[in-house]
Amino acid sequence: MDELLNVKYDVASGDFIRGGEASSNIKKLLQQLGVRNDIIKRICVACYEAEMNIVIHSVGGYIEAKVFSDRIEITAFDNGPGIENIDLALQEGYSTASNLAREMGFGGGMGLPNIKRSCDEFYIDSKVGEYTKIKIIVYLK
Amino acid sequence: MKELFHSVGLISEKCIGCTKCLMNCPVEAIRVKNGKAVIYNEKCIDCGECIKVCPYGAHVSIKDSLEDIKKFNIKVAIPSVTLYSQLGQDVSPQMINDALLKIGFDEVFDITYACDIASEVLKKDIEKVDKPAISTLCPVVIRLIETQYPTLISHMVKMITPIEISALMIREKYEKLGYHNDEVGLFFLSPCPSWATKVNSISRNDNIRIDGVISIDEVYPKLLKNINKNIDIENKPSISSTGLMWAYSEGQSRAIGIDDYIAVDGIKNVIKVLNDVENERLSNVKFIEAYACPSGCVGGLLLVENPFNAERITKKLIDKIDFSYQIDDHVVLESKFIGNNRKREVSQKLAEDFESAVKKIKMMNNIINMLPGTDCGLCGSPSCKAFAEDVVKGLANLEDCKFINGGLKNEG
Repeated sequence: MDELLNVKYDVASGDFIRGGEASSNIKKLLQQLGVRNDIIKRICVACYEAEMNIVIHSVGGYIEAKVFSDRIEITAFDNGPGIENIDLALQEGYSTASNLAREMGFGGGMGLPNIKRSCDEFYIDSKVGEYTKIKIIVYLK
Repeated sequence: MKELFHSVGLISEKCIGCTKCLMNCPVEAIRVKNGKAVIYNEKCIDCGECIKVCPYGAHVSIKDSLEDIKKFNIKVAIPSVTLYSQLGQDVSPQMINDALLKIGFDEVFDITYACDIASEVLKKDIEKVDKPAISTLCPVVIRLIETQYPTLISHMVKMITPIEISALMIREKYEKLGYHNDEVGLFFLSPCPSWATKVNSISRNDNIRIDGVISIDEVYPKLLKNINKNIDIENKPSISSTGLMWAYSEGQSRAIGIDDYIAVDGIKNVIKVLNDVENERLSNVKFIEAYACPSGCVGGLLLVENPFNAERITKKLIDKIDFSYQIDDHVVLESKFIGNNRKREVSQKLAEDFESAVKKIKMMNNIINMLPGTDCGLCGSPSCKAFAEDVVKGLANLEDCKFINGGLKNEG
């Protein structure tokens, strides 16, 4: 099915103050589309976690939301450093976050598990030294 | 659709069409049309920020007058707990209640009793909703969640406010005494305009009807004249310390003795915290009490004393009182309120069907690209984004933008 809308937001590494803006813009968009609240909530949580992952762990990247008539696709892409062991990263409680990030209440090792839990389809792809790409799909119906 | 009642209004003759309120409204509910401010009722949350910032006194709170009590045979005052912090630390609650009787009321209901009941109800309700539970005392916060954070409605406690509890108890008492409901007039002495809206909606139920909301700044000068400092202070205060805690931010949490709570005040701070709840960043928090006004209810717009001193005076009073009501059975009372807490979800959607909404968003994005992005407010909308939304909704014309219209937009 054809893509109806597409929005993209750059996410800067280490910017905890503005981190979350992409997710709140996407939330506003979904509200304007009239997407059901429980679905918005799931997308918001997944999107926010993915965005904060870029802020905390990466050198920077972007969040892209694609709207289809039957689903929303969110892509979180960053330019590295990549994840060495994806299976480990998907385990609850596993974290490589810095002490500073943890002190701020991030880096609890629940990021990826939470994203996975919130969506209908979850794809992750990463190459050490190059990129991490997460794609999540949430059905609208 | 039934028209929404709002307690913030505009005196058109006083409005000169400046952009103060437009720019300071936290929910972008104000536009300037034909040189006058217009409040969009479906967006307004009654926070009163526009009343605070308007230099011309054009924004006003809608409330009843002390004159209105004369219509009733029995006149009962339900003073907000904040009243007891307004006349300085040397004026006791008894002196204030005594003065209320002198200015025309037949009874002053002790709202701290209702607060103590509300605390018990609240304790239970916190367990019944999604965590973190969010207090529903502040009517502005309720409206904010309904209009901007509908995903958080499942976090709102079903709690009945002390005002509703008071109304029910007073009405039941006078019914038993043989009075007709319409003979008895109940008046809430309010610290803020938002209660006028809330009271208007709860008063559809005759058994908790409140007949008027009178602002504390209106009764204040009359109270001052009628305070008698020589009344019998030996008379133990029948006012509850835990009930008084409901006056300030953090008081609800202290009254119910909960840990892992957040007390947030000031509408912009509340918005920040709600964003975090939505992103599930506050999963360790059990309870959030949120107030639109700085310092909580003592920061209300219709109060006289400055919020910080009012909080100090309240706490001083609490320290002096060694009394709380023992609430045993509130279940009976609770059952009388079933169905009274209907949440009104407000949709932000641009069109009824998905395809049309998509089209409108595309149009909106195209318009945003044409606009200067300076959020100057000259078009009458609070920001370029809000203007683009207004245009696709048919509430504004593209030509209203001075930059597009006059060809002033910097091409480059």
